[in-house]
Amino acid sequence: MPSNCTRRDWLKSVSVLGGACLAGAPFSRAFAAPAPTAPVSVGRCRTYDPKELLPVMARMFDQIGGIGKLVRGKTVAIKFNLTGMPDWRLGNLPVAETHFTNPAVVGAAVSLIAKAGAARIRVLESAWSTTDPLEEFLLQGNLEPLEILHAAPNVEFENTNYLGRGKKYSRLMVPTGGYIYPGFDLNHSFTDCDVFVSIAKLKEHTTAGYTGAMKNCFGNAPATIYGDGAGVDEPSLTPRGGRGDCLHDGRRQPPKSALQEKDPRTPRLETYRVPRIVVDLVAARPIHLAIVEGIKSITGGEGPWAPGAAPCSPGVIIAGLNPVCTDAVSLAVMSFDPMGDRGSPPFEKCDSTLKLAEDIGIGTRDLKRIEVVGVPIQSAIFDYAKIRAARQAKQLQQQPDKRG
Amino acid sequence: MSAALTPFRWPASWKDASALALLNDTSVNCLLAESGATPGVVVGEAMRRGLAVVDPTAPPAGVSITKGEWPGVQASRGDAVVAGPTGNPWVDSNGWRVRLEAARHPGARVWIDAQPKGLVSPDSYPLAFADAAAYGGRWIISLDDRFAADVAQGKADVLASWKKLTAAARFFDDRKAWSAYTPEAVLGIISDFAGNNEYIGQELLNLVARTNQQYRVLRKNQLAPASFAHLRAVIYADAVPPDPAVRNNIMAFVQAGGLLITHPKWGNAPGIRASNQDNDKYVLRISGKGRIAFAKSEFDDPWAIAQESVLLISHRYDLLRFWNSGSVGSCFSVAPDRKRALAQVLFYADRGPEDAGVRVAGNFRSGKLWTLDGKVSNLTMVPQKDAVELHLPAVARYAAAELEA
Repeated sequence: MPSNCTRRDWLKSVSVLGGACLAGAPFSRAFAAPAPTAPVSVGRCRTYDPKELLPVMARMFDQIGGIGKLVRGKTVAIKFNLTGMPDWRLGNLPVAETHFTNPAVVGAAVSLIAKAGAARIRVLESAWSTTDPLEEFLLQGNLEPLEILHAAPNVEFENTNYLGRGKKYSRLMVPTGGYIYPGFDLNHSFTDCDVFVSIAKLKEHTTAGYTGAMKNCFGNAPATIYGDGAGVDEPSLTPRGGRGDCLHDGRRQPPKSALQEKDPRTPRLETYRVPRIVVDLVAARPIHLAIVEGIKSITGGEGPWAPGAAPCSPGVIIAGLNPVCTDAVSLAVMSFDPMGDRGSPPFEKCDSTLKLAEDIGIGTRDLKRIEVVGVPIQSAIFDYAKIRAARQAKQLQQQPDKRG
Repeated sequence: MSAALTPFRWPASWKDASALALLNDTSVNCLLAESGATPGVVVGEAMRRGLAVVDPTAPPAGVSITKGEWPGVQASRGDAVVAGPTGNPWVDSNGWRVRLEAARHPGARVWIDAQPKGLVSPDSYPLAFADAAAYGGRWIISLDDRFAADVAQGKADVLASWKKLTAAARFFDDRKAWSAYTPEAVLGIISDFAGNNEYIGQELLNLVARTNQQYRVLRKNQLAPASFAHLRAVIYADAVPPDPAVRNNIMAFVQAGGLLITHPKWGNAPGIRASNQDNDKYVLRISGKGRIAFAKSEFDDPWAIAQESVLLISHRYDLLRFWNSGSVGSCFSVAPDRKRALAQVLFYADRGPEDAGVRVAGNFRSGKLWTLDGKVSNLTMVPQKDAVELHLPAVARYAAAELEA
């Protein structure tokens, strides 16, 4: 996606390409212009101390061309990542030093976005199985919401896992027709904004191999519609449980009030579905600014429930105006090949979200076509791939030999 | 004398007075012997040994006996677990019963009469004891038939469980000073807990406890300014409006900065509307320095009220906040000099959690951790702003963190 374009611009740009998909033909880059690219900045940051963090992020935003043109006078929505329950930790480590996007990073982004002229900032996440305000969800995780709310004037939270403060859900169509869904019904905050920012955590993912700026948007889907406890005809009033039945496994459809899957005969495999649904969500709600926070994180999966999950300190932040490019650089920083697909780490058992996004023209994952600014990738590498290989070898050793 | 009694219901299958030897070197000093069911020879020998013998239908002076539930994660058929409204396991606990009975009978010792539901895990007996004792009560030790028979037969593994149970009783008996500690609370629940108000009042106590919000039982006709000390909020959920004296007491609390959570049965909503603070279920009003959260409809779901009260107060004011704890209960109390505090934690699942932690509000410099076997260990304490984070070792059933400012 071209940098600084609005959703409307992007919709126009893909409308011709989308026509092919809408007609039922799978879209392929072979028939299209090369997927767009945008610079990606890599920043070294070892702590969440604002004295270190704020200058690093300010420099990174400058390196990608500045964010003033993008946000000045605009309403900005920031989706961050608070996966799981706030009281579920990896050992005794704070959740924001393992699998939650750290509020300090969100606060720094809020501060810089406001300084660049944003009129209003709304910080979003679909809190697990609850309608609790995000402030309360953060407090339960021992996190301070004021780090974000007080980072700038006109900042507010919205829990997007249900209707929230809206009167009705907003329907966002996938301009390319969608891999799995033609469109989604989401919380109003995803349309009541001019600019959409995804601030993710640098992590692997049990189902999707890698979770970054795009996979973060899986949480855009409200569990009242796409969750296990969603209604049959209408959305439920409150979210219950996760999105396993509907989005992961396709064991059920969303309520009749929402758009149904395009083809219920597609594989009912989460390793097939989740990457595609992520791309559908990102196509429907384009990301203008992608930030992947890897100051402190985990290896082994997206949360403490992942087998073999362990803490790590990559000490790095990646940011860019194109989410595919940003995720590609993030994967490279993790020492994975962003050009890899099903069968290669970290996509041994799943499809690559990056490839699927590239295929519909959201952005390139080819490092040769991405301008990397700031710290060179080689200098920023934290070798998730090596840790992953060692963990898999150990798990293999622990499996009983079933040969006769 | 009653304050020192640790009661034990003599099992019907124990016909021989020699079984009294099982009570040697334990803190059990009181037999509940139902008239006609306990052999006279046992009663006689017990009295000769200096044990108090009590007829459960006529408790000794200063003791109030109340019926309870077998505490723990409620199991249905087989190993399946009954879920609560959130999908979380449903937990039975007698802590709220101890507190309610203590509020009804100030100064009395509360005994909880909760007999095992059928056959229970031998390892669950110490929890049954701790579940009442952590709140200042005593569980009437009651054994299921199989456990009683196996203990009497001297089966080694069962005797080990019996020793764990009597060690739990000894643990609390050795810490009488803790009974002088005052429970801390952020939320008061005001009711007469009787008649038409019995269900919602008592269920509120039960379900607020499940949120781990620290609460205080406030009997509405016994309110005094001191009743509201250190509270941030009160709930008035009774089915009739408060009489003028009760109303004045509550509104004085609000005027001073407290939060009243109530519903249309209160009568005319006091204060000035603050519509910018409204939510789906409550209209918010301002009165003096405080607020009133006035429910849009009459209270009928104690679980919802309990959950909503936590948010209306805000987790910011949690006295105890847990992680990785599973199904947990808690009691936070402070010494009369307020320089020492005690966070008692009950783990209701069969298996204790690993890497559990708790954030305790307050500034504490040191602490130690007690477990039911009487062992003490140093606590890993991580200072935070106006709080400490305690990292607990893997413990089963119960732990008490004793903290010093």
